[in-house]
Amino acid sequence: MEITENKLNSATVLALTGRLDGLASPALEKKIDALLAAGNRTLVLDCARLDYVSSAGLRVFLTTAKKTKAAGGKAAFAALTPGVREIFELSGFLAVLEVHPTAAAAAGA
Amino acid sequence: MVATIATAPRHTSLLPVRVMTALTQTITLTNDLAEIPRLADFVDAVCAPLDPTPKDMLALQLTLEEAVTNIINHGYRDGRPHTFTVALTVDSRSITAVVTDDAPAFDPLARPEVDTSLPIDQRPIGGLGVHLIKKLMHRTRYERHGDRNILTLEQQLSPTAPN
Repeated sequence: MEITENKLNSATVLALTGRLDGLASPALEKKIDALLAAGNRTLVLDCARLDYVSSAGLRVFLTTAKKTKAAGGKAAFAALTPGVREIFELSGFLAVLEVHPTAAAAAGA
Repeated sequence: MVATIATAPRHTSLLPVRVMTALTQTITLTNDLAEIPRLADFVDAVCAPLDPTPKDMLALQLTLEEAVTNIINHGYRDGRPHTFTVALTVDSRSITAVVTDDAPAFDPLARPEVDTSLPIDQRPIGGLGVHLIKKLMHRTRYERHGDRNILTLEQQLSPTAPN
């Protein structure tokens, strides 16, 4: 799992590459908590290169959406691969999370 | 590793016949999340010869991670190292996974259904793993045999395009 951080408009974009499994998820949560503590309010999780997500990763996605909302910001998810999209769908996440086709759309919306 | 090979049925067709084999391979894991990549490599290696679709492969990877993570995080409550096994049996177009541990009796499948229609503020954080197992596998079964929890998960693979 690789996490790359970029700025786009006023959003902080985290590009996720590889597998977001039970082993990798704590590092992402830590990274997001640090960004929120530093005052970042709009987060975009770019999933274009995310091949795999398990419930541990979904848990981080859901808590990120809740935490950013509580801080007066938001979290948006971009460019889901077909497999990750299916997992979002089965979990009911497509209905509760903000999902965009591209990171640029997610940062601009 | 236990391997059983069934003999191929006799075919009169001139077409090449896929050899029918039922092969079981077992991995022993410790109750440590660092084992997840080793589990993933094992699932990949065992299933690759069946040429599963990416969707089927993701379902198997995800389901087994969820089952194993449950045992690692919640199964043993004494803080000590333990081992448990995942056996994968590959038979034609189906894969059966049997996860066996000696933790206290626990039926993960008995967990109440997750309501995936709740709005974000009311969505519980837990329970999604078992929900996904039930959604992604064709058949699931839990048994307690003596001091062992046995979780059996069956997946029928989608056909892949002929080469």
